[in-house]
Amino acid sequence: MKNPPAVSAVNTAPVIELRGVHKTYRLGAHVVPALQGIDLRVYPGEMLALTGPSGSGKSTILNLAGLIDSPDAGEILLRGERVDTRDERRAALLRRDALGFVFQSFNLVPVMTVADNVDYPLFLIGVPAAERKRRVAEVLESVGLQDHAKHRPDALSGGQRQRVAIARALVKRPKLVIADEPTASLDSRTADQVLDLMRERGHAEGAAFVIATHDHRLTRRCDRIVALLDGRITETASEPTETRQ
Amino acid sequence: MNLQWLKFALLNTLRNRRRSLVTVSIAALGTASILLAGGFAIFTYDALAQSSARNTGHLIVGKPEQFTKDEATPLEHGLDDADALKAKLLADPDVRAVLPKVEFSGLISNGDKSTVMMAVGVSPDDEFAIKGPFLTIKAGEVLSGGGGGTSAASAQVMLGEALARSLSAKPGSSLTLLASTTDGALNAMDVQVKGIFSTGVPEIDKRLVYTDVLTAQKLLNTQRVSSLGVFLNRMDLTLPAQARIAAAQPQLTVQTWVDQATFYQGVKALYNRIFGALGIIIGVIVVFVVTNAMAMAIIERTREIGTLRAMGTLPGQLLRTLALEGMLLGGAGAMAGALIALATSMALYVFPVQMPPPPGRSTGYPLNVAMDPALYAITLVLMVGLAMLASAWIARKTVHLPVVNALAHT
Repeated sequence: MKNPPAVSAVNTAPVIELRGVHKTYRLGAHVVPALQGIDLRVYPGEMLALTGPSGSGKSTILNLAGLIDSPDAGEILLRGERVDTRDERRAALLRRDALGFVFQSFNLVPVMTVADNVDYPLFLIGVPAAERKRRVAEVLESVGLQDHAKHRPDALSGGQRQRVAIARALVKRPKLVIADEPTASLDSRTADQVLDLMRERGHAEGAAFVIATHDHRLTRRCDRIVALLDGRITETASEPTETRQ
Repeated sequence: MNLQWLKFALLNTLRNRRRSLVTVSIAALGTASILLAGGFAIFTYDALAQSSARNTGHLIVGKPEQFTKDEATPLEHGLDDADALKAKLLADPDVRAVLPKVEFSGLISNGDKSTVMMAVGVSPDDEFAIKGPFLTIKAGEVLSGGGGGTSAASAQVMLGEALARSLSAKPGSSLTLLASTTDGALNAMDVQVKGIFSTGVPEIDKRLVYTDVLTAQKLLNTQRVSSLGVFLNRMDLTLPAQARIAAAQPQLTVQTWVDQATFYQGVKALYNRIFGALGIIIGVIVVFVVTNAMAMAIIERTREIGTLRAMGTLPGQLLRTLALEGMLLGGAGAMAGALIALATSMALYVFPVQMPPPPGRSTGYPLNVAMDPALYAITLVLMVGLAMLASAWIARKTVHLPVVNALAHT
């Protein structure tokens, strides 16, 4: 089933587009079809939730949209440019420049301070040190962690760590943020705070979010929900405008 | 290289401090072992080189046959006008002294007992002044004067310790030297024992006799000398001086001390193999330890490596930072090892340790370890380089893992 564009994205080119994407995994002698002809577009500023049971293909779509895996068939376009490449270097440079990642278990680098973790993506793309310092301070303030800049991740709570991860994903102003169960490790109050933050910062930076989740609190706040089952899109729903706002 | 990568590598080495400490300690011990063993070998080479050059002269000048053929009669291949040649050689500014040497063999007798001797005629004053205390005087004194024993009373000899014991000779004893002259006749000469010495090699002390050149020439009935030993101002002048003298005296052969130092060459070849093998073994151990430490660190960080890759870090960048971790571990170990080796080497000068006599010798020697800058530099560079290569080698698979697999690693 083709998904309609989000209300806010009408007449806008998609950030990422999956066209007829197939992906299978081989587990010994078994061939497991993970995705079977997925068509999906995500627009700038849009927050899209992928839902479905385990094995439905959520993570596979995240991996493909995040350019850390390549499809067996079909096309992936990032800002209109085909990127379904097996050229790992090119994919890495695209990820470095245009994508941000938020992981379920935060995946912060434990030996780096909060500021260094957030600084790392800017360092990778070669932003000058003074500019990096300014932007790191700015983004840490926006996630309310300016007083924890010198702390190590293990000195923070789960919610604080996820806020650091969000700051790290957004600091380079990516076009697309890939988030895998970003609230799964958080209590409900902290999860709400993190969701608010993602919406607020995402909109502020103009980043689109593709979020794999089982969390209904999260899906309710997304612009669009794509339900998956057995590697196929079964349903697409747009949330009321007031929810998005 | 951006210092940020170095900082990241340093932070990573501090993750598991105990493991890093063990790695650094083993690298330090390995480095110290290589430096101490290498320093000992270098000191030994240097001591043997000095000893050899002091014994023969830095250069030995003689007729070509002197070095290639056996003599049918004594001094058959000796030098004729040695004084004129000596004067020419002394004109070279790098030449400090030229010492003639008359080598011959024969019998030495106390009247009741005769035994074989290997004798050397030298210029006593020059010989002992130039060479320094190369013999251990056990009794009496060294030869003195310009030689010229024209009478039995003034002809003097020094005997090796074991030879003197064999002949029951003491300083002042009268002995008789018997040798073939250059024209094949048998000649005898009465001599007086001036001193008894030890070279430190019992086999040599059983046969060796020192006398002055004129006594030797008189006994052999010749004006020739076997060869001239040329002593230079410095060891490193040997090869240039050899080339100059060889060019100026094309009818003669000029050998360096190395050509005649068979013991030095043998020891050097043996030590090079022993300490070379030791160095390789220690190097392999250090590489294995660093590799093991890095392998554990990398396995533990596979997921983190996946995260960094997902964020756009290139495999080459990760490989570099992991190699830098190896460099820091190996470098810290190498520096600590160098300090240990330096401290030990200096301690040996302050608190001397005497080694037992080597096989075939009767005297021990002080244990010293050379602090050779080149050895330190090469060892440190090799240790750091090996640690870097080992780390990069062990990391190469993980940094090239598919990002999805690395992120799924538990």
